[in-house]
Amino acid sequence: MQLTLQIIANGLLLGGLYALLAIGLTLIFGVLRVVNFAHAEFMMLGMFGVYWIWRLTGIDPYLATIIIIPLLFAFGLLCDRLIIQRTIGAPEVTVVFATLGLSILLQNAALTAWTADIRSVTTHYTGMVLTPGGLRISVPMLISFAVAMLAALGLWLFLSRTFYGKAIQAVAQNREAAVLMGINVRRVYMWTFTVAVTAAGVMGGLIAPLYSIYPRIGMSFIVTVFVIVVLGGLGSVSGAVLAALLIGLVEASAGYLIGTAWAELSYFLIFLAVLIVRPQGFFGRRGAEVFGGR
Amino acid sequence: MRFRPAQEGWLPLAAGLTVFILLLLVPLVVTDVFWLGLGITVLMWAALATAWNISGGLAGGLSLGHAAFFGIGAYTSTLLYLRLDISPWIGLFAGGAIAGLAGAVLGAITLRLRGPFFVLATLAFGIVIHIIAVNWRDLTRGSAGLVLPFGGGPANMLFAGLEPYWYIGLGLLALTIAVTLAIQRSRLGYYLIALREDEDAARCLGVRVVQCKVLASAISAMLTAFAGTFYAAYIQYIDPASTTQFEISVQIALVAIVGGVGTTLGPAVGALIVIPIGEISRAWLGGGPALMVYGVLLIVIVLAAPRGVIGALEWLAGRLPRRQKASRHA
Repeated sequence: MQLTLQIIANGLLLGGLYALLAIGLTLIFGVLRVVNFAHAEFMMLGMFGVYWIWRLTGIDPYLATIIIIPLLFAFGLLCDRLIIQRTIGAPEVTVVFATLGLSILLQNAALTAWTADIRSVTTHYTGMVLTPGGLRISVPMLISFAVAMLAALGLWLFLSRTFYGKAIQAVAQNREAAVLMGINVRRVYMWTFTVAVTAAGVMGGLIAPLYSIYPRIGMSFIVTVFVIVVLGGLGSVSGAVLAALLIGLVEASAGYLIGTAWAELSYFLIFLAVLIVRPQGFFGRRGAEVFGGR
Repeated sequence: MRFRPAQEGWLPLAAGLTVFILLLLVPLVVTDVFWLGLGITVLMWAALATAWNISGGLAGGLSLGHAAFFGIGAYTSTLLYLRLDISPWIGLFAGGAIAGLAGAVLGAITLRLRGPFFVLATLAFGIVIHIIAVNWRDLTRGSAGLVLPFGGGPANMLFAGLEPYWYIGLGLLALTIAVTLAIQRSRLGYYLIALREDEDAARCLGVRVVQCKVLASAISAMLTAFAGTFYAAYIQYIDPASTTQFEISVQIALVAIVGGVGTTLGPAVGALIVIPIGEISRAWLGGGPALMVYGVLLIVIVLAAPRGVIGALEWLAGRLPRRQKASRHA
C-alpha cells in the first residue's frame, strides 16, 4: 500500500514536469501546425542558463529561473523570426525538418560551448524531503510540480478567458476564417511559439536542481513528450496535461514493475498503436491529423 | 512540386554510363586510404539516401525511422555469419527480405497517416527497433556490439584492402538508382506521383493506394538493409549507436533533402556534398562543430531550397532564358 502510494506520488510529480513541456509543444502544433523537434532544446538552454548563473554568481536556481525568462523570450523571438515564420505555408519537408535542424544546431552548439560533461546544481534543499504519512516527497520536485501546474492553469485561463487567448484558439481551429475575422495570424504564431518555448526554458530552470545537466538531455525528454502530446491529441491543452500525468504514472510504475528498458519499449508500442488506431489522440479533435502537413 | 515525366533518350544513358565507368576507375587513381575510405562512405550514404527517397521522395512519406532497416540489414547478415556461418553474401538477401517485410508492415499500418503523424510513427518504429537492439543482449550483445572476425575472406564479403568495398558500394548505389529509375518509368511511379500530389484525387481515379504505398515502403526498406549489410562488412564492427540510433535516421533524410527530395540523382548528389563536409569538419573541428554544420545546412536548405540542390539548379536553369529576355527589355 505504502509502495503503491509512493509510486503514484512519484508518477504524478514526474507527470507534472512533463506537462509544462507538453502544453507548449501541443500549442505550437495546434496553432502553427509545426512539430517542434527543438522544443526540449529550449529546456536544455534553460537548464544551462540557470546552472551558469548559479555557478558564477551563486544566485539561487529558482531566482535564476526568473532572471533567464527575458533571455529565453528574446531567443524564442529570434528563432521565430529567422526560422519558424519562414516555414508557414512552406512544403512539408520544410515544416518537419527546419525544427529538426534547429534541434541539431542547438544541441551541438551547447556541446561545443560547454562540452559533454555532466553537471549538476546542488543547493541546501536538493536532498530535502517531506514525509507526510511515511511517503517520501522531494521538496524541489514538489516546487517544480507546483509551478508547472500553476503555469498550466494560467495558460488555460489565458486561452479560455482573454480576448487574445481566444484569438489563438480561433487560429488553431481555422486559419482562413481567423484571417477573415481580422486576426493577425502572423502575430498569433509569434506569440504562441515564443511563449511556448519560454515555458520550456522555465521548465528547464525548475528542474535544474533535480536532473543532471548535459547538452543531449533534451533527447531523453522530447520523445516522451511526443508520446504525451499524441496521446492527449495534438493541439489539446487539457489533453496534454492529463496525458502527461498518465505517462508519469506509467513511467513510475512500469519502471518499478518490469524494468525501464521494457517499460520504454511498451510505451512506444502503445504510442504506435495510438497513432495508427486513433491519430487524433484521446482528447484531440477528430480530423486534426488530416490537416497535419498542410 | 511539379510533375515531370522521366527523361527519355540516349543522352542521359550515355552520360550515366560514362560517369559509372569513370567511377570504376577511381581506385586506380585514388590510393590514399583516407580519401578512398571517404569515397566509400559517400557511396554508402548515397545509396542509403537514394533508397530513402523511394519512400520519402517518390511516395511522399518523410521517414525518420530508416535506421531501423539499416540496422536490420547489418544485424541479420552479421548474426547469420557469426552464429550459423552463413556468408554475408547470402545474409544480404536475408536482411533485405526481413527489412522488406518490416517495411511492408510499417507501410501498411501508417497508410492513413499524413504529415507530422507519419513522421512521428516512423520515428517511434525506429526507436522500438533501437531499444530492441540495445536490450536484447543475448542476441545482439547490446551496446558492446558485434565484431566480424578478420580473415573471413572474399567468400564472406571480408576483404583486406579497400578497393573491393569501393566496387561493392558502387554496385549498391547503381542498383538503388536503377531501381529508382525503373519505378519512375513504371506504372507504380506514376501512381506514386499522383498519390503524393493529391491522395484523395488519386484514390478516386482508381489508384490502389494500399498496394502502392506498401510496395514503395518495402522496396525502400530492402535497399536500405542492403546498405546495412555492406556497412557491417566494411567496418567489421556494428553496435546500436552506429546502426539503429535516431541520428542515423536523421542523417539519411538529411542527405536526401540536401540533394533534392523526389529527384532521381538528388540523394546521391546530397551525399557528395554532405558527407565530405561532415567528415572533414569532424577531422578539423571535432564532433560537436561538425554536427552544428549539419544543423545549419539542414535549416538553410529546407528554408531556401526545399527541393534541394538539384531542385535549385533546375529552378536556375528554368530562369536563365527568362532573365536574358528581361535584360533585353531593359
